[in-house]
Amino acid sequence: MDRVLCGIETEYGIALEGRGASTQIEDSKHFVRSYPGEVLSLWDYRHESPRNDLRGFRLDQLAFDPVDAKFDAGEVRGLDSETRSDRILTNGARFYNDHGHPEYSTPEAWCAAGLTREDALGEQILLETARAYAESTGLRTQVYKNNTDFHGASYGTHESYLCPRELGFDRLFAAVTPILVARIAYTGAGKAGAEEGAAIPFQTSQRADFFVEAANAETLYRRPVFNTRDEPHADPAHWIRLHVIAGDANMNPWSTWLKVSLVQIAIQLEKIGRMPRYAIKDPVRAAKQVSRSLESDARIELDGGRWTTADAILDSTLGAASQFLGGEFADVIEFWSDLRGDLRADWTRAIDRVDWCAKRYVIESAEPESIPAAQAIDLEYCNIDPEEGLYHALEQMGEIRPFTPEPVSGLTRAALRGYAAKHFPSHLVAACWRSLTFRREQGTLEIELRPDVEVPPSIFEILDVESFIETLLELNSWNPTD
Amino acid sequence: MEPDRLNRPISRPGERKLGDESGPSGPEVNKPKSDNELMRRLKKVDPDRAKNYRQRSGQ
Repeated sequence: MDRVLCGIETEYGIALEGRGASTQIEDSKHFVRSYPGEVLSLWDYRHESPRNDLRGFRLDQLAFDPVDAKFDAGEVRGLDSETRSDRILTNGARFYNDHGHPEYSTPEAWCAAGLTREDALGEQILLETARAYAESTGLRTQVYKNNTDFHGASYGTHESYLCPRELGFDRLFAAVTPILVARIAYTGAGKAGAEEGAAIPFQTSQRADFFVEAANAETLYRRPVFNTRDEPHADPAHWIRLHVIAGDANMNPWSTWLKVSLVQIAIQLEKIGRMPRYAIKDPVRAAKQVSRSLESDARIELDGGRWTTADAILDSTLGAASQFLGGEFADVIEFWSDLRGDLRADWTRAIDRVDWCAKRYVIESAEPESIPAAQAIDLEYCNIDPEEGLYHALEQMGEIRPFTPEPVSGLTRAALRGYAAKHFPSHLVAACWRSLTFRREQGTLEIELRPDVEVPPSIFEILDVESFIETLLELNSWNPTD
Repeated sequence: MEPDRLNRPISRPGERKLGDESGPSGPEVNKPKSDNELMRRLKKVDPDRAKNYRQRSGQ
């Protein structure tokens, strides 16, 4: 079966001494530019289409947070590309300033294990950048891998999954939405307090408070459970990039691996018409219920007056995976079965694999006297500095299970992007997820980076740009039916 | 102080404590020993840290 190309983009929270949200866009720009490694700065925006909707229309404009709009009133900034400060890294990743947040977009990966390792590498990139920024500015600099400031501002951790265009909105929405709701119970990063609805001391998800609609193309405001942005970063005639914005930023790699694996399973099952159907009556309400149910026993209302639970959705999905997907996801099925048993028996048994359990454990250990004090601990759990962060303290104490899943072999198109950025930067005039554009004597040449092609390791032996271009063109002639 | 986007208080004095959800009680947490790295770091956490943490809305 075809593999599902995937990626994760994480917007990090930044706390810079003496600075705040009103200056954050400028600060994040300088932060990103502090990255000390090799970069290429010629991101190509031509193929971006954030206002296109999978349902077949285009929005006039995207909604904007009104508080942020006040910050920006009267602000005059330079070119948008200057503010965004896109960097292409030599591993094929994208690092830039996204609405005031340093965002690390991983290189594409073929599997959840590979993607989890790329995501962890992103934390190292952010850490190196933070140290360089602190050294150059003299400001105390802290970076958080989380999704909220606890005062109503959220920032995202998005996942991307390449799907055949023929799946379309209706089938993807039906197949994936129940998984996005149910996986919160096992992969949520946990949050002290609530930013919407009734007060609660702790919930399993960072993001659930911010869902407003079941499906739409928004990301900054009125966020949906299922995002309908149609921006494939590949040939739109053949591909959809399922853009998942409902997940949390995870510190624990097992949580990242599981959340990605579950969506991949739903997509693979849907491709063969075997994804179990759960018509959730109100996905927004269901996501909030699962987030607020620490026992994971929330009743998820379905159309027609029936109901289900997160465990039932995951159980039937993984059962179908076992039956119809061969052994491809056997490790995920075994992992979830063990995890479910442990979590249901005693949530403290899952501290080593589930972020919300570990965070709850840390908070309860400290016996904070108020929700804001608990939120301070929540925030420091997500501090990416190994010398400061509370997650990292658990890891150093041996309380986090070492991450062991091995990536499947094979390079993705990210290897081409990264290799070109490192070895042929003077020959490039533009680059993005989808293509590389070269400067040649006879003019520029844009070459598609096909997302479905496995890149041979022999590319790393190519020393001249013309041979590299020739190889790219040969890869594009590959026929999957050959 | 930068604005708070919330319309409602997220906690009120005397309300439920952490772990005090409806349904069966959660198990007792085995607290780490006081000399471990986690407790050392927890002692350094400023309880007002999150109160003063403000971010732009991202995506």
